Amino acid sequence: MIMAAPVPREDRGASPRPAGLGAPIVTAKGLSKTFKLGGGDVVALRDVDLEIRKGEFIAFVGPSGCGKSTFLNMVAGLLPATGGVAHVNGQPVTEPSRQVGFMFQTPVLLPWRTVEKNVLMPAEVFGLKQADIRDKARAVIEAVGLGAFVDAYPRQLSGGMQQRVALARVLTYEPDVLLMDEPFGALDEFTREAMNLELMRITQAAGITVLFVTHNITEAVFMSDRVVVMTPRPGKVSGIVDIDLERPRTIGTMQKQSFSDLIFKVRGILGNTHGDH
Amino acid sequence: MAITDQAPPAAAVRDPEQAERLRYRLYSLAIVAVILAAWEIAPRAGLVSPIILPAFSQVAAALWSLVQTDFFLRHFSVTLTEILVGFVLGTAIGLMLGIALAVWPTAKRIAYPFVVGFQAIPKIVFAPLFIAWFGFGQSSKVVMAVVISFFPVLINTMVGLESVPDDARKLMRSLKATPMQTFRKVSLPHALPVIFAGVKAALTFAVIGAIVGEFVGASEGLGYLVELYNHQLRIDRVFAVVVVLAFIGAGGYFLLEWLDRKLIFWRSDDNR
Repeated sequence: MIMAAPVPREDRGASPRPAGLGAPIVTAKGLSKTFKLGGGDVVALRDVDLEIRKGEFIAFVGPSGCGKSTFLNMVAGLLPATGGVAHVNGQPVTEPSRQVGFMFQTPVLLPWRTVEKNVLMPAEVFGLKQADIRDKARAVIEAVGLGAFVDAYPRQLSGGMQQRVALARVLTYEPDVLLMDEPFGALDEFTREAMNLELMRITQAAGITVLFVTHNITEAVFMSDRVVVMTPRPGKVSGIVDIDLERPRTIGTMQKQSFSDLIFKVRGILGNTHGDH
Repeated sequence: MAITDQAPPAAAVRDPEQAERLRYRLYSLAIVAVILAAWEIAPRAGLVSPIILPAFSQVAAALWSLVQTDFFLRHFSVTLTEILVGFVLGTAIGLMLGIALAVWPTAKRIAYPFVVGFQAIPKIVFAPLFIAWFGFGQSSKVVMAVVISFFPVLINTMVGLESVPDDARKLMRSLKATPMQTFRKVSLPHALPVIFAGVKAALTFAVIGAIVGEFVGASEGLGYLVELYNHQLRIDRVFAVVVVLAFIGAGGYFLLEWLDRKLIFWRSDDNR
């Protein structure tokens, strides 16, 4: 893979998210995953067809075992599909790519590196010159609100701040697609809310496509352009809900009737196929 | 947006902490003083024969006269060399084997049962063999030191490298890092605190290895001196040599402890 010099973000447009208007950037066709388990087959994900457009914010909700993390790992190229295919930027996914960033539930920071050195770690792996990317890293650290902590070590930071570092780390190498597997699941409610607002603001400004896995329906509806509802046994997509709430969204958005209607709509899809409502 | 810094305000915590540390240091000193006093009084009061336990002052005097002799310096440097060479070789071998077993699953599957089996042998029984194989000189003692000191390094290196969190491996995979990059940037630094614990143990074992080797067959070294003075019933000198050995062990340990703190600066304070 050829490493181009980091491209300034401006060309990707800072305009409000053109929901449903961008070109497809992530597509899945018949994407399936079967795990072998003690001689038997466990279907983790069955026949997922999905088209995600550039700049979209997509949330995946569903109970444990619905295959949402499996889907994310396959789009990331971390897990081979057993059926179907995923494309990112028109290329079939066969291995991890620099165009796709991954964020985990835990920050996964290296405790012997400062905030800045943690953020620069991917650039080292990619073989980029530190001098070329340093300004970019500083700017991103500033953007996630950690400008005063560039030289701090992870253990000096709170859980929320550590997750901000993880966010800065992935944003610095400018992926087109950001995959997030319950990134704020371990944070307290207040911190999580703040992080969600921040994440929306930053990814929207940068025009990054986000695939966001969560257990939390409220969070999913609040942040995304579409909510993909998934159900387990076997893991599959049960419905997709368009979230047509206007942007930018604020805490006030949550008080609207349309907001709670959408939550009930998502809940309904989960409940129908679940059979416990 | 407000950012909460949960790191403890350092200045506020330091003072009570320091006071506490000082108090415990005083307790330690008090215990040492009591032991030394008992050691001095018991033989003088006739509670124990001075042949079994010479008074502390006698041992101190013996030590003082001993360290001023040339022959003692010779024996001292012989043993110190054996310990250091054995420790360095043992650590290097343990490190290399530990890395090999951790990064190469096939090697681990094949070799690990032998490693465990080898560890089950009380390796001191090899001492006479090593004398036969490598002679009365220093090399047999070095081999003994290596053989008992490499194991804690091996195990800790392996365990440390294998305890890298799954998410960290996944992160490196998502960046398409090469195995070498993952090893250097993540696995090795992650394992370093555990490896270092093994290295500290290795030093203690290297001292034991060298001394045991000298006990079994040697014509020089501190272990040889202990044997010699024991036969001559110069127990004050036996104790004097033991004190010297204690200083070697403790000195090395504190040196490693200091290095540990310098090297693994990110370890949280409460682990120290």
